[in-house]
Amino acid sequence: MPRGVAWKMGLIVFLILGSFWYLYPTIRLWQLNPAERGEMARNDPKGWIDLQRKAIKLGLDLKGGMHVVLEVDRSKLNPDEAKDAVDRAKEILRNRVDAFGVTEPVIQKQGADRIVVELPGITDVERAQELIGRTAQLEFKLTETPEKAQLLVDRIDKTLEALGGGDTSGISSDTSKSGEKPNEDVYQDLFGKDSGKAKGDTGAALAAKDTGGSVLPPQVPTERPLSSLLDPSRRGTGWMVRRDESPLVKNLLARPEVQKLIPPDLEFAWGTKAQYTGGIEEEQLYLLKKQTEMSGKYLTDAKPSFDQFRKPIVSFQLTREGGRQFARLTGANIGKPLAIILDGRVESAPEIQSRINDRGQITMGTGTSYDEANDLAIVLRAGALPAPVKIIENNVIGPSLGNDSINKGFLASLLGGLAVILIMGIYYQLSGVIADFAVMLNVLFLMAVLAVLHATLTMPGIAGIVLTVGISVDSNVLIFERIREEMRAGKSVKSAIDAGYSRAMVTIIDSHVTTLITALALFMFGTGPIKGFAVTLFWGVAISLFTAVVGTRVVFDIRREYKTLSI
Amino acid sequence: MPIRIIGDTKVDFIGKRKIAFLVSGILVILGLAATVMLSFGKGNLGIQFVGGTMLEGYFEQPIETSAIRSALGSAGFADAEIQQLQGRAQANSFLVRIKSDPAIAKQAGQSVLDALRKAFPGNPFHMDSVHEVGPAVGKTLQSQARWAVLVSLLGILVYITLRFDFRFGVAATIATFHDILAVLAILYLMNVEITILVITALLTLAGYSLTDTVIVYDRIRENLKKYHKKADFVPAINRSINEVLSRTILTSSTVLAVVIALYVAGGPVLRDFAMSLIFGVVIGTYSSWFVASPIYVEWESRNPKRFKA
Repeated sequence: MPRGVAWKMGLIVFLILGSFWYLYPTIRLWQLNPAERGEMARNDPKGWIDLQRKAIKLGLDLKGGMHVVLEVDRSKLNPDEAKDAVDRAKEILRNRVDAFGVTEPVIQKQGADRIVVELPGITDVERAQELIGRTAQLEFKLTETPEKAQLLVDRIDKTLEALGGGDTSGISSDTSKSGEKPNEDVYQDLFGKDSGKAKGDTGAALAAKDTGGSVLPPQVPTERPLSSLLDPSRRGTGWMVRRDESPLVKNLLARPEVQKLIPPDLEFAWGTKAQYTGGIEEEQLYLLKKQTEMSGKYLTDAKPSFDQFRKPIVSFQLTREGGRQFARLTGANIGKPLAIILDGRVESAPEIQSRINDRGQITMGTGTSYDEANDLAIVLRAGALPAPVKIIENNVIGPSLGNDSINKGFLASLLGGLAVILIMGIYYQLSGVIADFAVMLNVLFLMAVLAVLHATLTMPGIAGIVLTVGISVDSNVLIFERIREEMRAGKSVKSAIDAGYSRAMVTIIDSHVTTLITALALFMFGTGPIKGFAVTLFWGVAISLFTAVVGTRVVFDIRREYKTLSI
Repeated sequence: MPIRIIGDTKVDFIGKRKIAFLVSGILVILGLAATVMLSFGKGNLGIQFVGGTMLEGYFEQPIETSAIRSALGSAGFADAEIQQLQGRAQANSFLVRIKSDPAIAKQAGQSVLDALRKAFPGNPFHMDSVHEVGPAVGKTLQSQARWAVLVSLLGILVYITLRFDFRFGVAATIATFHDILAVLAILYLMNVEITILVITALLTLAGYSLTDTVIVYDRIRENLKKYHKKADFVPAINRSINEVLSRTILTSSTVLAVVIALYVAGGPVLRDFAMSLIFGVVIGTYSSWFVASPIYVEWESRNPKRFKA
């Protein structure tokens, strides 16, 4: 055996073994059926997480999940705050996302103002989106007194009574769709869960989509139209509205005639969560003073906890300046409710029990759970960010679509691989078969590299693997054509092989580097799935430079002494 | 005996360059026109670029596209595009597209779903995926795409110049640019949706079509070392291309084979991607013979560096 061949063969064997070693977790993971996975998650949680981490990650388009891009509006911040606003928002999001226990969530800054959040395989998409989308402004506002509130409602009643009744033609149930939310939602389908959470909206935020402005929907009672839909709140401020009647209330409140009656320093606001009382779901409506008494930016910490009665509370901390302001506010308004508002919706409106400086606690109220206290605490901590965040891109992919894509990807790879194997085998005979083995090695090494790099495999990434199969043979084609050429010119097998490899080398390197350049450009400027493609293309081509040259050379070195060459 | 598809050929590639320039010229102009139209938003741009909402799903029972259209129309989505999807796991699969809906986040997707459910109570609709993109995102993506193309072309110019010479570099870069524009022109005329994946395909073919071009250039460089008379210049180039003909055809064929496999079996996500590459590989090979080399020849013959008469 010619010298040098031995260590080359040794190297190749070593790499093959190494590849299998790195790919073992992936193979094992894919072999487990759902039942076995659940079992492992229960019995060996650490091992389970470890296995997933070591296996090749599947992109969102293959696994299903949520991909959301948020933009932080820094326009209202001063330069100091603006500098780290996005980072703070990122940390805050990380906290919230951690609460979901998603394996390997992705939260990344994108550019100067944006944050990307990816939650693969998430099932409770609605809760996720609510929590993420609720990175909002935190405000503290006072409520209007019950007496004055009632006066306003009476005035509204009178105005509505004057409008109402009679002609119901041309009004279908569609005209109240501005407030209507169905029971099912977008995500129940995909993930099979009925979250059943109330999704209220600020009455003021809804545009009145009615076509005929002056006729009331038929469901509205003709006497005391608004009041009859409002029940006095057990909490002492605001009212309760039955969940199925709340769209109606929203509709009424949104009407221009009603809007005109609301004094400029007051506003209606809805609560964030529905309450269950005696089997009936109810939402809370508040009448607030518009003035923001204090902003959430003075909040430094908020933690869920239990008070001495073992009830869940949230204990919070403010800055010195915040403490001063808060002391003034609470001192002057003892006994009154203080609404904690997140993104225009009232999270809670506890009564001010005493003058509070920079440390206080919020009692969650009867029937609340520790989880709710925790959610509030998280939201408060997040609300400490004075910059609003809005969702500018939202992608949700169901898992079934992903599975479909994976299957198709594999089918395409097999088909493509088969075609290449046939072409090479027929055209170059035995040498072609050797080249085919090199291609298979190429794919094996490529997958191993993906595993080592913890790269994410996306659908375009699979396309990249398929492309690599087609491109990697090119090196061999060039070498073989050169060998043929040399042999046609009369050279012996030995020198033809030598000449073939050395002369073709230059061309091989040049032609592959150009593909590498574009793969690099794609990697630099591409987003998620495109990056996945760039990675597989880049490494596929890079590795093919190795397997085509070193790999097949080894075999040819063995064949050098032959009189004829099957090529 | 080894199989040879292409024997010793003597095609006069350079001689035919006038026709080639004409054909290529038309394609390039069309491609440029397409680029301009697309940057103004006219043409079939994916929602990733222009913003909007895209929903995919299936109905349990068969249903007419027109029925869906009127249902969405009365829900306020009169300009929704509705497409029945073929080849999906579920029959009665549809795609709904609404361009640049400013009310991003759950609004549009949810509203469409509600409208469909309300209009067809006996025929439940199940959603497979939803993509909602605000208009601001698209602008960033467009500029990213442009940068990627620019950087690629620059990288190519630099590398080929380093390995060969400046004229080869320029000719190769022009040929690559030609390839991208030509495929874009074809896609535009076929009204294919230009998504970020399609742009990726265009960049990939840019990188890949160079492998052919480099193969030809390498041979030209080798042959030109042997010939020193001016009269031998064009024949040398022609001979070079002819000598590597089977090589370029075969390398392109292997890639074509896998790309066709992708088109046939890869599923709807990759279909446009694969199709762009199919065109790209064919045009890329054509341009290595009829565009890259002739441009170099033209330049040399007008401004000879190699051969002083």
